[in-house]
Amino acid sequence: MTEATSEVTRPRPAEATPPRLFRDEARTEAVQCLACGGPIALRGFGAIQRVVCPACGSLLRPEDSGALALIHRAARAHQESVLPLHARGRLDGATWEIVGICWRTVPGWPWQEFLLYNPYRGYRYLAHSTGDGHWSLGQVIPGAPKIVPGKRHAIVHRGRSYRHFSGADAYVTYAEGEFPWQVQVGDAAHIDDFVAPPHGISIEEVAASDGVELTRTAMRHLDAAEVWRAFDRPGKPPKQKGVGMLAPNRWREQARSLWLSCLVFLVVWYFAVQHVSGSASEREVFQATDLRFDSVLSQEVTIGEPGASTTVEISFTAYPLDNSWAFAEVVLIPLDGEEAIGLGMEASSYSGFEDGESWSEGDRQVDHVLGRVAGGRYLLQVTPERDTSALAENDPLGLRLGTFGPFGVRSPDTWAIRVREDVFLSRYAILPVPIILGFPLLAWLLGRRRERKRWANSDHPT
Amino acid sequence: MERERQVSCPQCGAPAPFRGTAVSLVCEHCGSTVVRTGVDLRLLGKISAVVDDGSPLLLGGKGSFAGRGFEIVGRLQLRYARGAWSEWYLQFSDGVGWLADFQGNYAVTTPVADGPELPGFYNMAIGTWHEVQGGEHMVVDKRAARYQGAEGVLPFVAEPGLTFFSLDLAGPDDQFVSLDYGVDPYRTRPDVYLGRAVELAELGLDRLRRFEGWRD
Repeated sequence: MTEATSEVTRPRPAEATPPRLFRDEARTEAVQCLACGGPIALRGFGAIQRVVCPACGSLLRPEDSGALALIHRAARAHQESVLPLHARGRLDGATWEIVGICWRTVPGWPWQEFLLYNPYRGYRYLAHSTGDGHWSLGQVIPGAPKIVPGKRHAIVHRGRSYRHFSGADAYVTYAEGEFPWQVQVGDAAHIDDFVAPPHGISIEEVAASDGVELTRTAMRHLDAAEVWRAFDRPGKPPKQKGVGMLAPNRWREQARSLWLSCLVFLVVWYFAVQHVSGSASEREVFQATDLRFDSVLSQEVTIGEPGASTTVEISFTAYPLDNSWAFAEVVLIPLDGEEAIGLGMEASSYSGFEDGESWSEGDRQVDHVLGRVAGGRYLLQVTPERDTSALAENDPLGLRLGTFGPFGVRSPDTWAIRVREDVFLSRYAILPVPIILGFPLLAWLLGRRRERKRWANSDHPT
Repeated sequence: MERERQVSCPQCGAPAPFRGTAVSLVCEHCGSTVVRTGVDLRLLGKISAVVDDGSPLLLGGKGSFAGRGFEIVGRLQLRYARGAWSEWYLQFSDGVGWLADFQGNYAVTTPVADGPELPGFYNMAIGTWHEVQGGEHMVVDKRAARYQGAEGVLPFVAEPGLTFFSLDLAGPDDQFVSLDYGVDPYRTRPDVYLGRAVELAELGLDRLRRFEGWRD
């Protein structure tokens, strides 16, 4: 493209007396397009490299004198962008004016880029992804992000790590207004996006005949409603769909505090359990040992206070118990009530050596906790049973030779029973744990789902 | 600082307030470029034409950087294919510095006495990291530019139209390094300017340009 042209708006009267030292106020201007004659408002105050006529799309260039020269005559139709040229809005605590609008696309992902300008603060880039309705605000950063060595393509800047999202050539498809760079429809630039939602860094390489520049832009997700408020737009903004590249993931953001509160709850739970179990008196109601298997135990016991209920623990054990079992049918019959409590308890112990590994299973002592037992007098009845395959009394010398039973098997001779009241009921104490852990786990799952949706649109779908 | 001697513009006779080690001055009244060589003044003619680039900075503005006060005493405007930018010449009480001004992005640098040995301009690829003054910096901008014009005083004679070569490097914490190869891109000891990026507001400038429809 040749920039030489004879078409110039007008000689400026200012040229006779150059605005030296710029002590006068910089002025906005209203000129006419050299191609279509339509009005062009110039509000960029001098740093402008290109002006694209909003009406016809002709490309103009400000000369040193301030006059416009026509570079490229066009006759495209004006298109409505989601925000209008020259709208003003407040973002980041400052007022900004849209001086240029540029539609860009990487194949399949079009967006509208609004060049925001404040003469005292420079430029910002407000981007609206037209495909999914998400917004971001960009600002050129002076620092250089460092590439993180390793498999994952990532950069780190100011202590924050950003993962590579996508790299592609972006093309300009439409432009209007003023630009401090040489914009032209069809221009391509390679853009690499790195994300740490809701933040991101975009690295764009801009090459020209006399040099090349690596522009680093820090981006931050904006909510559509925030943009609409900032620019005081009527109605509702285009709906946001899916998970935008920089859309926040509140599940992830709150993961830390959720885990922390989970930890706090677990600590509280632990101490509460310690306290409650410590305050349980575990008073012994009845104990009998060295009982023989040939008789039934029948004993009157008093449990708790009349009118109140308590927890009762019944423990049953038998001796000796090697590769054998013992069973007790325990019944608590209230003396002045109706409903008896009955339970079967089996103590067993088995062990062996198989495939080079020793194993053992079973419990020599079984404990059973009964919750909410009404206080009062009970008749405790225990009917024991046992494995009789290898009784020690048949082998008084303890030789355990073949005729008396299988090797390594000892059937029980005696049994014992213990009844305690006001014991700690551990099965209810465990209940809160899955609930406490459930919240962060659920958040983790939902957060992961959201990230998958986001990354499905990237160069690195998971 | 060297005492200011009362000298006049050879063209129009207005005072030519040379300061410190300044070598050239653009006369505020007639726009002539006046060059100081020793005790003599030489006239370079009316060649300076600073274009309005919309910068909010003003010659004569006073501010501070890193706790040191400065005055903006000169401006060099440069032009390259992608636009124009300004380098404002700063006079600190104990030295000089530059304030780079490009599309609302600013950086203050001061000259480094003994710059490192570096590859020539053409061998410094964009995006590569180099050690300068004990820190790692990435080449972020590489360009050949022309002097467009000047205002105030400058420490050298900037002849408009001359092409010179420079690189900008950025550090991870907003450090800013400018390598000035002058007119010789094959030099291996470019002039080094070291500093950092700044926000305009943090310089606390006492005067800024006025823009129609805007208040700072």
